[in-house]
Amino acid sequence: MLSLALVFLKIGAAAYGGGWTIVGIIRTEIVDRAWLSAEEFARLVAVAQITPGPVALNAATMVGFKLHGLPGAIVATLAVVAVPIMLALVIGSFFAKATKNGNRLTEALKTGTIGLISMTVWAFAPSAVSSYLNAGIAITAFGISAFTKISPLWVILGAGALGAVARTILG
Amino acid sequence: MSEPHTDEPQPGFLTLFSFFFGISAVTIGGGYVMVPVIQRAVEKRGWLAEDEFYDLFATAQSVPGPLALNTAVFVGRRLSGAPGFVAAMLGILIPPFASIIALAAVLDVIGEWPAVKGFLEGAFAVVPGLTAALAFNMIKKRRWTPLRAGLTIAGAVAVTLAGTWAVPVFFSVVAVSWFADRKPAC
Repeated sequence: MLSLALVFLKIGAAAYGGGWTIVGIIRTEIVDRAWLSAEEFARLVAVAQITPGPVALNAATMVGFKLHGLPGAIVATLAVVAVPIMLALVIGSFFAKATKNGNRLTEALKTGTIGLISMTVWAFAPSAVSSYLNAGIAITAFGISAFTKISPLWVILGAGALGAVARTILG
Repeated sequence: MSEPHTDEPQPGFLTLFSFFFGISAVTIGGGYVMVPVIQRAVEKRGWLAEDEFYDLFATAQSVPGPLALNTAVFVGRRLSGAPGFVAAMLGILIPPFASIIALAAVLDVIGEWPAVKGFLEGAFAVVPGLTAALAFNMIKKRRWTPLRAGLTIAGAVAVTLAGTWAVPVFFSVVAVSWFADRKPAC
């Protein structure tokens, strides 16, 4: 249990670039320690996607739950957010002051952030072009989110409903 | 600009908690979907302008951890100080945790239903589109100089190609941009 907490503390501290990157880090840590097999982990992540919320958080909760039940789920979830929350408190107030004047730091962070996002888009690109349906959905989602004020929530629920109907009808 | 708004009433703890709880409870697809959902929702309520939101989002990127959580706590603190920070944190954390614990026994079974599988396939197909749109909207809202444009393009290429070195490359890009961008654009 202690090692579970330490591993997820480490994962939380190293996790940059959003959920899917973090899931990759969790896989490395958990599968390399043979706590779960690669297949078990892949199955867990698939199931974690059914539940709402940040994917990385769900994956941490589920791994903890699978290994040690409810206490494990609590420990893994709190451990994975501990370092980010601490840093958000400390660095956050520092940045809030530093970015107040001049905006230089904010602009530099935006430059880096656009880089991180483009890395993510690049990583997703193969799945987006894997079928005409996927490509169509991705382009439509881009158009709605880039050129209208419609909440992306409706886009994702709509695309989900479309996928459900397609699956149910086509089998 | 980092002070809470004084011309409008600040949203209270419970308002912010239920706001983030609601978003976290219904949004699947991870951080790059939740961040634009949060952005549109705070803009609609008149809490934060779009460019202010991207300032906070970029700052939240300097901290490791789940993107949606970090962005939410920065937004919460901007809106209502420390209580807003805590409200955002709990609002984001509780729904997924509770649903995993409550549904643990049946999630495996539900995941095999064709309708659920189809729903997830459709929902996840939007993720690249929404992620690209997030970058597009940030780019649209920035104040551009030729230097910033060059740095942004170079930075995007560098981070994308960095692979496992993405984090040090990200911080190098931020540091280089900060040093290079000495004259404010406005």
